[in-house]
Order: sequence, then structure tokens, then C-alpha cells
Amino acid sequence: MSEVIVITSGKGGVGKTTTTANLGVGLAMQGKNVVLVDTDTGLRNLDLLLGLENRIMYDLIDVTEGRVPYKKALVRHKKFETLYLLPTSQVKDKSAVNPEQLVKLCDDLRKEFDFILIDCPAGIEQGFKTAVAAADEAIVVTMPEISAVRDADKIIGELGRADKDNIKLIVNRIRPQMVESGDMLDMDDINDILSIDCIGQIPDDTMVVTSTNKGEPCITMEKSSAGQAYRNIVRRILGEDVPFMEFQTEGFFEKLRRRVFGK
Amino acid sequence: MADDVVKIKSGKGVLHINFLQGATFVNVRKNLEEKLKSGSGFFLRGTVVLLPRDVFSAEENEELQKLFHEHGLICRTKTPEEAEMLIHNAAAKESRQIPKKSTKQDVQEMLVVNKTLRGGQEIRTESSVLIVGNVNPGAQIIAGGSIDIRGTCRGMVHAGATGDTSAIIVADHLMPTQIRIANLIARSPDAIEKSNRAERASIKNGCIIIEPIER
Ligand SMILES: Nc1ncnc2c1ncn2[C@@H]1O[C@H](COP(=O)(O)OP(=O)(O)OP(=O)(O)O)[C@@H](O)[C@H]1O
Ligand SMILES: [Mg+2]
Repeated sequence: MSEVIVITSGKGGVGKTTTTANLGVGLAMQGKNVVLVDTDTGLRNLDLLLGLENRIMYDLIDVTEGRVPYKKALVRHKKFETLYLLPTSQVKDKSAVNPEQLVKLCDDLRKEFDFILIDCPAGIEQGFKTAVAAADEAIVVTMPEISAVRDADKIIGELGRADKDNIKLIVNRIRPQMVESGDMLDMDDINDILSIDCIGQIPDDTMVVTSTNKGEPCITMEKSSAGQAYRNIVRRILGEDVPFMEFQTEGFFEKLRRRVFGK
Repeated sequence: MADDVVKIKSGKGVLHINFLQGATFVNVRKNLEEKLKSGSGFFLRGTVVLLPRDVFSAEENEELQKLFHEHGLICRTKTPEEAEMLIHNAAAKESRQIPKKSTKQDVQEMLVVNKTLRGGQEIRTESSVLIVGNVNPGAQIIAGGSIDIRGTCRGMVHAGATGDTSAIIVADHLMPTQIRIANLIARSPDAIEKSNRAERASIKNGCIIIEPIER
């Protein structure tokens, strides 16, 4: 039984591509056969995060337009051998693929893969509609700020309209200090509005950026806190019940000192 | 307004306009112009408006149509059959799930929506509405009757949109961006805190007031 999961957000730049890459690697590390489909045509960068840019021969549009069979376009990851990427074109625009083509492609991919993750473009236009068409499940990525949460809300409404009812939430780039000082929405504020099942809370972590430069997502880094959060999400996707991690805002001794000495 | 020369009835996203018997063209035109300028929630851009065909002359009808077009509405004169029939329109999408009886006198009817209304979603109906769920920021409800929300209201709600000043709005947590009842508008304070009791908004002495209620 394979699962097709679309990773979407509404607002741009909140971490869809980062999430797709990390979950893909994480699921492959658990021995799953995984393919990542980049549908953000024209703004391709999933290949960069995986360090696969120089291996691309064909792209999604070559496949949907019937120029090559999908197998020819798949790029295997250097290190995680059960992970493949189906890259998108750098040049065409987002309407170059239509929903029926993607549904058909995913039906083919289902025969070979356990997980098919679709990296969705920002917005609610045609590119979004195409990306969600084939999905069994949607992961909505947001950030703890009002505009991102409002866009996530709209996306959830749109997913409902497309009859996608299996929707999970990931809150990315949480900064514990800011949440504590009330400058950033906390999980209660977000749940209040979105009221969907949350499967991940990811801290803001500079290792996300440094790992991008290395072409290996942070989930492989033992010391990365975002990596730890992604590892937990992978276990939740595989059906484990994993408690959410406590964010470290200050050391235990600092907290104690503050309590004893007041400030 | 009892002496209104123009009567507006909304059905399935289409507005039916009727004129009071004996109303003059000048009065009708003036009245419509005022209504359009007042920005009543009913006259949203893209709404289809149907005018009676045989009350005024063809030129006069054309002039009225132009007036609506200027405000971004789609205006046609209606055939006698259309005067009876209610036309389906995208704006009524949300009410589609609810089986609707074709009763003529439907003011007492209630639309029940069993879900959270999310940003960008809209419900428009000539009847009253019961929402079992939240009304999120950016969502909007425009109802001819009253609005009852069994959840938190953070969106824009307009009750009595056809002019019924006795319409009310009730919510478990009432913290909307804007409340409108009939032709009155109340804006929320810039910092709203979550109320712990159900509240009711209604018109008293020409103002929208909000008071806690038990339920
Ligand atoms: N948890 C995090 N901590 C720090 N930086 C992050 C985190 N998540 C994402 N970023 C950074 O935010 C930027 C945007 O991330 P990403 O490209 O994944 O977003 P996106 O939603 O795919 O954007 P787009 O809408 O443009 O496709 C990147 O530079 C990425 O490195
Ligand atoms: Mg992206």
C-alpha cells in the first residue's frame, strides 16, 4: 500500500521543499522506497537540497508529455539508494503539467514506491491544483506568524473543496524565545485557528541552511534540532506515537537561578 | 424601510429586484444608486441582478443596467419565467449540500453548516444560518436572517443583510473582525481578547450592542 503525500503551504518560503527533502531522506533511512516529485516548475530546487543537480537528464515535463518513460527521468540518490527524485523543469511554467497527467504518473509510481512525496508550489493557482490532485494525504507546512497561518487556513479550505480530508500540519521555524516572550504565535494560537492534527514542530535551526549547502538534508545530522524534529515526524508518519520534544529556551540552571534569585 | 420603492430578494446567489407599485423611474434610480453607494453586503462584485422587464421602458431599463454594471454587478432583465425561477450561481456553492425546499416564504428557513468556515470561504443566504464550527479570519457570512455560531467567530458576519434590524448574531466566542446588522457596522477593538461566555450582538436604540448570554 503506497501513500501519495503532497507537501503544501499557501504562503511561499515556509519550508515545503526543506520538508520534502528531509522526510524523503528520513523515510529512505527507514528502508522505504521513496520518490520525490518536484512540481514547482520554473523554480526547481529540490534537486539542490539533495545534491543531485548535476545528475538530472530528463524532467517531469519530458515524462508527462510522453518523451521518455518515467524510469529514465528518475534520479537515484547517491547515498540513500531507495530514494529517487523526479525533478521538474527549470524553464517551463507551472501549467505545463495538468492534474490528469500527474494522477496517471502517480498511479504508475505507486507500483514501485512506498511513498510518493509531492513538493507543491506556493499559492492556490493551477500549480497547486495539479500538485494536490493525485494526493491521498496532504501535509500543510506553516510558520508561527499570522500571515502564514492565515494562508494555511485557506489552503486547508481549498483541500477540503478538492475532497482531500486527510490533512496534517507541520509548524516550521519555531523560535522558542520569541514564543515565550509573546512575539510569536504559540501552538495553542495556531491550533485554535487551524484545528487539524499536528505531526511536527520544527525549531528554527541554522543547520537547515548549512546542510542545504552540503546537499544533504539536516535529518542526517545527529546534532541538528530541526533534524531531530524531522526524525520524529518520520516515525509519526510510519505510525509510531512519538511525544513532541520540549524546546530548550534556557538552561536548567538559568531557570533555577531565575526562580531563586528573581531575574 | 417600509416606504422603500425597491425590494430586493436574494435567491441562490442571484438578486431579484422588484419595484413598488406605482414607483417612478426617478425615485427607483435614486434609491438604487443610494443602495449601491452604501456598499450593502448584497451588492458584491460579480453578483447577478435580475430586473423586472416590463415596469419601465427599454431605455430606462438600460440605464438601470448600466448603473449596476458600473458597480461591477451583472445585470439582466428577467423573463416572466425567471421571475419565478431561482437561478443557481457559484456564490451559493456552500449551501448546495443542504437540501433546500422550494418554499416561497423561506424567511424562517435555516441553513445549517457542519464545518469550520476557513479564510476565503463565504456563505450567502437569504435565510438564517447555523454554523457548527468556527468562522475563521477572512471567512464571511452574509445572511438575510440571524447568524448562530457554535464555535469561535473571527471572520466578518452580516446578519439582516436585506434590512432586518431585528436579526441577531450569536457565537460561543464572538471576536469577529467586523459585525454588521442590517445597515449598521461595528468594528472590533484593535486588541480582542477571547471571551469565555457566549455573546449576542443585536441592534438596540440604533446601535449594535454586544452582551453575554447563557446557553
Ligand atoms: N527550520 C528552519 N530553520 C532555518 N531555516 C529554515 C528552516 N526551514 C526552512 N528554512 C530556510 O527557509 C528558506 C525557505 O525554505 P524552503 O525553500 O524549504 O521553502 P518553500 O516553502 O519550499 O519555498 P517556496 O515557496 O519558494 O517553494 C530556505 O532558505 C531554508 O533554508
Ligand atoms: Mg519550494
